[in-house]
Amino acid sequence: MADREMITIEIDGKSVSVEKDTTILEAAQSIDIYIPALCSSELVEPYAACRLCIVEVDDGRKTKLVTSCNYPVRRPIKVYTSSKKVLRNRKITLEMMLSRWPNVQVIKDLAKNAGIEKARYQHPAVDLNPNACILCGLCMRICEQGIWENIINFTNRGAERAVRMPYDSEQPHCVGCGACAEICPTGAITMVDDPNQPYDAEMIRKAGMRITKEMIKYDEEQCDMRGVGTAHLVEIMDAYDLLPVMNYRYGKHEETPKISSDIFRKYFTKGKPDGCWLGCTMACAKAIEDFELKTGPYKGEKVLVDGPEYETLGGSSNMGIFDPYFVAEYNFYCDTYGLDTISFSTGTSFVMECYEAGVLDKEKTGGLEIPFGAKDAALELLHQIGRGEGFGLIVGKGIRYMKKYFVENFGADPDFVFDIGMEAKGMEYSEYVTKESLAQQGGYGIALKGAQHDEAWLIFMDMVNKQIPTFEDKAEALHYFPMWRTWFSLCGLCKLPWNDVEPADNAETDEPAKVPAHVQGYCEFFEGVTGKPQTMDSLIRMSEKVYNFQRVFNLKMGFGRREHDVIPYRSAGPVTVEEYESRQERYDTQLREDVGIDPTGMSSEEKVAATRKFREAQYEHLLDAVYKRRGWTNDGVPTVAKLIELGVDFPDVIELVKKHGG
Amino acid sequence: MNTNAIDRLKTLLESSSDDTNDAPVILTVHLGTCGIAAGAGKTLETVKTTLASGSVQPIELRSSSCAGLCSYEPMVSVSRNGERPMMYLDVTEDKVNDLFDCIRGVKTAEECHLQIITHDDPFYLKQQTVVFINRGLIDPESLDDALASGAYKGLASILDNMDPAEVITEITKSGLRGRGGGGFPAGVKWSSCVSAAERTEGIPVIVCNADEGDPGAYMDRSILESDPHSIIEGMAIGAYAIGAEEGYIYIRKEYPLAMEILENAIRQARDRNLLGKGLLGTDFSFDLVIHRGAGAFVCGESSALMVSMSGMPGEPRSKYIHTVEYGYKGRPTVLNNVETLANVPRIITRGSKWFASMGTGDVSENPWNGSSGTKVFSLVGDVKNAGLVEIPMGITLREIIYDIGGGIPGGKEFKAVQTGGPSGGVLPADKLDLPVDFDTLTDAGSMMGSGGMVVMDNETCMIQIAKYFVDFLKDESCGKCTPCREGLVALGTILDRIISGDGRQGDIELLEEYGQNMCETSLCALGQTAANPVLSTIEYFRDEYEEHIRDGKCGALKCKALIEYHINAENCTGCTICARNCPADAIRGNLKEPHVIDQEKCIRCGVCREVCNFNAVEVL
Ligand SMILES: Cc1cc2nc3c(=O)[nH]c(=O)nc-3n(C[C@H](O)[C@H](O)[C@H](O)COP(=O)(O)O)c2cc1C
Ligand code: SF4
Ligand code: SF4
Ligand code: SF4
Ligand code: SF4
Ligand code: SF4
Ligand code: FES
Ligand code: FES
Repeated sequence: MADREMITIEIDGKSVSVEKDTTILEAAQSIDIYIPALCSSELVEPYAACRLCIVEVDDGRKTKLVTSCNYPVRRPIKVYTSSKKVLRNRKITLEMMLSRWPNVQVIKDLAKNAGIEKARYQHPAVDLNPNACILCGLCMRICEQGIWENIINFTNRGAERAVRMPYDSEQPHCVGCGACAEICPTGAITMVDDPNQPYDAEMIRKAGMRITKEMIKYDEEQCDMRGVGTAHLVEIMDAYDLLPVMNYRYGKHEETPKISSDIFRKYFTKGKPDGCWLGCTMACAKAIEDFELKTGPYKGEKVLVDGPEYETLGGSSNMGIFDPYFVAEYNFYCDTYGLDTISFSTGTSFVMECYEAGVLDKEKTGGLEIPFGAKDAALELLHQIGRGEGFGLIVGKGIRYMKKYFVENFGADPDFVFDIGMEAKGMEYSEYVTKESLAQQGGYGIALKGAQHDEAWLIFMDMVNKQIPTFEDKAEALHYFPMWRTWFSLCGLCKLPWNDVEPADNAETDEPAKVPAHVQGYCEFFEGVTGKPQTMDSLIRMSEKVYNFQRVFNLKMGFGRREHDVIPYRSAGPVTVEEYESRQERYDTQLREDVGIDPTGMSSEEKVAATRKFREAQYEHLLDAVYKRRGWTNDGVPTVAKLIELGVDFPDVIELVKKHGG
Repeated sequence: MNTNAIDRLKTLLESSSDDTNDAPVILTVHLGTCGIAAGAGKTLETVKTTLASGSVQPIELRSSSCAGLCSYEPMVSVSRNGERPMMYLDVTEDKVNDLFDCIRGVKTAEECHLQIITHDDPFYLKQQTVVFINRGLIDPESLDDALASGAYKGLASILDNMDPAEVITEITKSGLRGRGGGGFPAGVKWSSCVSAAERTEGIPVIVCNADEGDPGAYMDRSILESDPHSIIEGMAIGAYAIGAEEGYIYIRKEYPLAMEILENAIRQARDRNLLGKGLLGTDFSFDLVIHRGAGAFVCGESSALMVSMSGMPGEPRSKYIHTVEYGYKGRPTVLNNVETLANVPRIITRGSKWFASMGTGDVSENPWNGSSGTKVFSLVGDVKNAGLVEIPMGITLREIIYDIGGGIPGGKEFKAVQTGGPSGGVLPADKLDLPVDFDTLTDAGSMMGSGGMVVMDNETCMIQIAKYFVDFLKDESCGKCTPCREGLVALGTILDRIISGDGRQGDIELLEEYGQNMCETSLCALGQTAANPVLSTIEYFRDEYEEHIRDGKCGALKCKALIEYHINAENCTGCTICARNCPADAIRGNLKEPHVIDQEKCIRCGVCREVCNFNAVEVL
């Protein structure tokens, strides 16, 4: 984004420089000049209804009264916040308010400040309620703009104006978020009791409001989840060389802007709540309406595409395809066929690389020419999978099956296909390049359910911010985060509001990656529901029991030992010379500084081998450290002592782990 | 450019059905909403039956719109051998036979008690018709009529010969200022829309404001009912000038006839390629959609109107960012009033110089520098000839009220005239010689507004008048902002106590203080002008306020709490009529003896005074 134009204005003789279109009120607040602004809040768009925030503006030609809450600074002006004219008018406006609502505290206070005791006329409809609605419109604005619900609004005209629910009824569509009650300056809105009878509804609402407020205030500048959902990650991942391109060979591509969030912003339906939960203010689930399909059984029809989210976009770059229409089409058909876009795209990337490497050819694929970037072929493959036909029948069974099949039937080199077939425990990798983050390699490799980032996403902590340099640090992170994220699943909660929006001062905390203020909020949330006070540690403890139990379950099913935590080498380092050479400077430096080998004079093949040897050893060290931190044997099996400590020492559990040396 | 839109239009004109027969007598029944309300529909039916009986041929029967003299509807014009028509007034259905007798020369108009007025009457002589040039002459349902009178010539000529910027220059030079109330120069508005569209990369739209919410005003309705194609053509020209392809007409749903006529006109225009894709064979496309408003006064305000068009309750927003930049659905939008747009084709066909030659000031360099052209007023109240009048800008209030309006009826005196609609101001007799233009009226504490003009005689109480408008606005305020919502309540409360005899010293100053606050701090023009009726009556009739408060007297004898009805025993013949009519049973007295009013019981309805044949009832 281009830098916004700055304009210097003068407020009560003090000068201040602000971005063009900043309101006078914001400018004044930024230099601690107080202006009463009853109907304004940083959570909603200005409305300019109360007229208390008036100031006098001299634009060089004439002087006029304007409302500071919505007057945009567009040229150098002089502002007077307490001129005679301002004070006289503000006083009269307050007198009118006081005459109608003599017992409302905010009005009484403001009136007193302005020197008014009593109005000079008797209001015919005087309202003596101390919690009377003063028609500021904050509630309906936060409901509409903050919550995207638009439940309450004004009815009637003139002095009859009032805030109401539709048809004056209790609205089933009101999500009960409490934002309106929270923002109301007079306490005119009260929430009725929750049908679920939680231990302390107010406590839950407070915890929820914290997130809601942050969402409204910071989301647009932080992740813009409300605007584009997780699609915003595409350009960030590309910038950090983390966006998978051509089966994870590379981390960026010059055509990425074609599938970046700016493109999809235009297609996404706007201004409607689209969360997974009623009342979710993050509402990251975006949709494209009226998308016309070009292939498949619904060809020519206009449909709603639910997405795309980041993984779907990263999957597309992984297949070397940078075309928003393709993304929408494959997104729709994956959903329709009941396929997940990650498995499909990662699987197809593997197919494409095999095709380019000669493992596959047209004959073997049943006629499909499918190198990277072949979007028509990719869609045809998708339809074949959907129909359970032809080559699709093989691909649809996943990478683990394909590897074996290609070796057995097409004579593929097993080392090659195992290096580039991106799966662990039989599950396809999601769309991040992990080569430069050892901790994240562990995140994928050790994850109980397979190669997923949803137990731990440590790339920035590890690679960018270098917050976890030692094996012990990494192991600690690979303990805390998987436990923490498991806790969400235990409660049936979405993880995104935990760290896809952050408090403004999060970076200044001791452990910003944990978002401590939000963890505290979850403790309150849990207590509000159950009545049991919690700490960060007690929440982790809940997960640890389950997590260890799940590991034992894996063990029982034949997936729970060190040998199952292996990862394909593509996720740890450059498999091919070509890959090495594309980031030669980086790898050469690492050889020199981390491995202690001088790369000068070495051939690329030799350098690939040396790098590989080093990185594979690093991964093994990591496993050692993680198992140790978790209280597992060096083979990755929970020890009896650990299970007793956690209270999951059921006889058959103990018997099983003992059998595996636990 | 250099297309052949003009040729296309000529072809259209030639192909239009020529149904004028050579009947020596053409009889036109005026079927505006005003006429229909007065029974013109029945008049027409009776005329038809009579004609069908065959006794009075050959006569050609037409219908047309209001002829302007609304207080004398139903009206029928009769034109012989192509001469200018004579207009018969008050031709209700029972007078149709008499009318035919006159036409056949069997009787004179006088003999049948039929009043006639011609275009030489002062009512018409001082008027100058630009937007009403076709009023009462063409059939608004007929595109052929419109084409024959020159409709769409302006559009065709700009499509052939002018680029958009030239059109804007021409309108700017004409000095045409908005007739909807604000008086903003149309050309300037159009050109700022063009620059806003460039800046924001938005696609402009043009909207016609036909909300006309002023009570008692119906200028716009009459234009729509008499010459709908002038609006369509004006909008198409405007659209071409600003680069719009979409136009909307926001019309109140209380105007069913206007809406029907407009819908019909739009359909006809579409059928003949005067709307739609590639107008008149050029590559300029433009089409119109009608939006119906629910009749809230505030919805005439530009930002409220655009919100209302999007299906939300009409509520104004601050216009620090103007609607030309951020209007309908956030797009650059030109909003013009019906009358403004109706002037546009005339300016294009006859030239900006011609238009600027009417009115005040030299606007050729700067449209703010005067008021050019004409203005339609709805002249109502205590005036003999009530109706719609179109006058050249700059003639005096006196000329309008006395020459055109025929003065004050009932031998009473002029007291004041209210211009500018409900939030206009009230001007006293010593302002009668003020020229009527945007700036003079504003300087005098009133405004042109959209053209309401209410004349008041000396039996009018100014405080009651102020209260009437305050009450209207109190109901029509949207209620969003404090000064307007609460200020109107405050003004109403204080006026009430003055009217009911509880006025206090200092109340006038209080009214001024609150009124001033409303002007200075309200969000939209409704609230900013809502105190005008109060402030202007205080300015010109302060004595009357003081009299009410100090002496407890209403000079006009209108404030019930401040008057008493008494029977003057000298005049009273004891006829008992008053006692029999008194709704409160407040009058006592024996037959043929002077009667007396019981002040405790009397509710000051004034019935006794009206029914007494001996002028015995007096008001004090
Ligand atoms: C309360 C209020 C009511 C209005 N009603 C009307 C109306 O009924 N018709 C109209 O043309 N303009 C009305 N206006 C003026 C419009 O806001 C706007 O200025 C006008 O339509 C612009 O067109 P013009 O420049 O051609 O006059 C109203 C303004 C206010 C503040
Ligand atoms: S509780 Fe939330 S959804 Fe319901 S009305 Fe209030 S703000 Fe709207
Ligand atoms: S209910 Fe509260 S927030 Fe809503 S308008 Fe009234 S005072 Fe304002
Ligand atoms: S001035 Fe009156 S009509 Fe205009 S926004 Fe305020 S309350 Fe509404
Ligand atoms: S003013 Fe009306 S109520 Fe009073 S005496 Fe006369 S008729 Fe009766
Ligand atoms: S109507 Fe007149 S004259 Fe007759 S009784 Fe009444 S006041 Fe007397
Ligand atoms: S805060 Fe600006 S008008 Fe209320
Ligand atoms: S449900 Fe709202 S962010 Fe996931």
